Amino acid sequence: MISPGRVSAIASNTFREAVRNRVLYALLFFGVLLIGVGIVVSSLSYVEGDRILQSVGLSSLRLFGAAIAIFVGVGLIHKEVDRRTIYTILSKPVSRTEFLLGKYLGLLVTIWLQVAIMAAAFVVVSLATGAPLDGGHAAAIGLAGIELAVVVAVATLFSSFTTPMLASLFTAGFYVVGHVTRDLRELGAASESAWVQQGTWLLHRALPDLESFNLTVQAIHQLEIRPDQVLLPLLYGVLTIGVLMAAASVIFERRDFR
Amino acid sequence: MTETVKGNDPGERGAQPEEVIRVEGLAKDFRPGFGLVRKRVLHGITFSVRRGEVFGFVGPNGAGKTTTLKVLMGLIHPQEGRATILGHDIRESAFRRHIGFLPENPYFYDYLTGREFLDFYARVSGVTKADRPARIERLLDDVGLTHAGSERLRGYSKGMLQRIGIAQAIVHDPEIVFLDEPMSGLDPIGRKEIRDLILRLNAEGKTIFMNTHILSDVEMVCHRVAILVKGRIRWVGGAADFREADGGGADVVLSRVPPDIVAAMEDAFGTGFRGQGDRIEVRVPEKRLPDLLRLSLDGGAEVVSVTPHRQSLESLFVDTVHDAEALDPTAVEESR
Repeated sequence: MISPGRVSAIASNTFREAVRNRVLYALLFFGVLLIGVGIVVSSLSYVEGDRILQSVGLSSLRLFGAAIAIFVGVGLIHKEVDRRTIYTILSKPVSRTEFLLGKYLGLLVTIWLQVAIMAAAFVVVSLATGAPLDGGHAAAIGLAGIELAVVVAVATLFSSFTTPMLASLFTAGFYVVGHVTRDLRELGAASESAWVQQGTWLLHRALPDLESFNLTVQAIHQLEIRPDQVLLPLLYGVLTIGVLMAAASVIFERRDFR
Repeated sequence: MTETVKGNDPGERGAQPEEVIRVEGLAKDFRPGFGLVRKRVLHGITFSVRRGEVFGFVGPNGAGKTTTLKVLMGLIHPQEGRATILGHDIRESAFRRHIGFLPENPYFYDYLTGREFLDFYARVSGVTKADRPARIERLLDDVGLTHAGSERLRGYSKGMLQRIGIAQAIVHDPEIVFLDEPMSGLDPIGRKEIRDLILRLNAEGKTIFMNTHILSDVEMVCHRVAILVKGRIRWVGGAADFREADGGGADVVLSRVPPDIVAAMEDAFGTGFRGQGDRIEVRVPEKRLPDLLRLSLDGGAEVVSVTPHRQSLESLFVDTVHDAEALDPTAVEESR
């Protein structure tokens, strides 16, 4: 039986530890800087200045959010094992699943706080330059937050059984692959070979599709965003996180802490 | 192997004491690398700990003490065997509200203050919000850290960290406290503080399971001892057993011993007789000590000192380790 009290105790301690990580501030600084630099980049163009500004802003938010999730996330569990703090925690009436969930949620709150700060910078820059802001931007930022929740779950999964170096490589690989499977399928569909067509289709189905969470184009072009364009990725994200955390829990449960 | 309880063992105080820890045939293999070769580090360990006793789990480095403790704490899964704590299988987690654990050379979250640190462990141990503040203040007082409660742990000395570590182990008022090398790396004052704390916890009725290789501490605080060598239990017994196993006895230093008495002593205590001239040392078993003293004093010798053997556990420990090596020079079995 999972205890919310124990999970929240571990989550709040994880948050407290994560916000002390200097890497996080360095990445956040560059994320906010790049959102601000959008003003300079957009000023170089005579047309579509607002769209360039917001495209740079939303892309920075998603990219630096992922970087923070990867570089802060992969070390959290390893550090607990390496410094043996996990020994005292697991000797309490805390199950390994509760520990993992607490670490995940603590990191997620940290990442979402960073996203909120970058989103605030994005809003300030948009307002300062007179670029339009509406619900589409909010939906794009919200789904970026869900995408990062998936990336944090991947980081948690890999860090539950491997070193931070390998976990960061695997998580970064997952992130890159997650953004190209859709392109891969479209490339495959253009092929004349049935094998290539089916193979790329299968890859797209089997591997995560992180582009589902990307509403940047719709937001900056102020295209209509249907409810299902938000709800389906949200459901997809929640299910993916559930599967990833269940896998992490099974692996973590079997692990020996030597 | 001896399995008797004498002296100050809580088992003597009443009816058959409850066994709060039972370990039966525990075995564990490790893979040293990525290969298929496995090393067996625990070989069918069996022992039990009774309610209310301080149990010393003693062994040389690499004997498997910490591995055994980690198995009991659910940090390592055994290949074979079974262990229960308070009647619960160690794979469960709910019963852990009744046990506390201090690992060896622990690192704690050094960005937390003493109070925040204890609050965190109280929360994960299920201590209610209403009970936490008073409990934490009492604990800080118990371990002598009230003055440092608002200080971050990174400013604590090693002795203070051990004490706050014991405080986290008992923050939820457990019945059994497991300590892994609690005196390791401490100065004599720090060791005494921890020793006193262990005795106080035991006096409050807590059962203490202590891994250590500092034998003098074991002699001072433990009711019973198990000696683990190369993953096998080689000796289990009560505190009185290891004193007797060495025969008890004392080293007696004499001076101004008349020559005829020297000759008589040499005949009577030949193997334990050392010295020449004015100063003679005799190592004598406890039961023959009165004979020696009578012979010396009646003969006109001066008794300079009588030193009871303090190394009895050490002798037993060294003998046990040597015997184990003679029996099993390969130490560690390898299997595929």
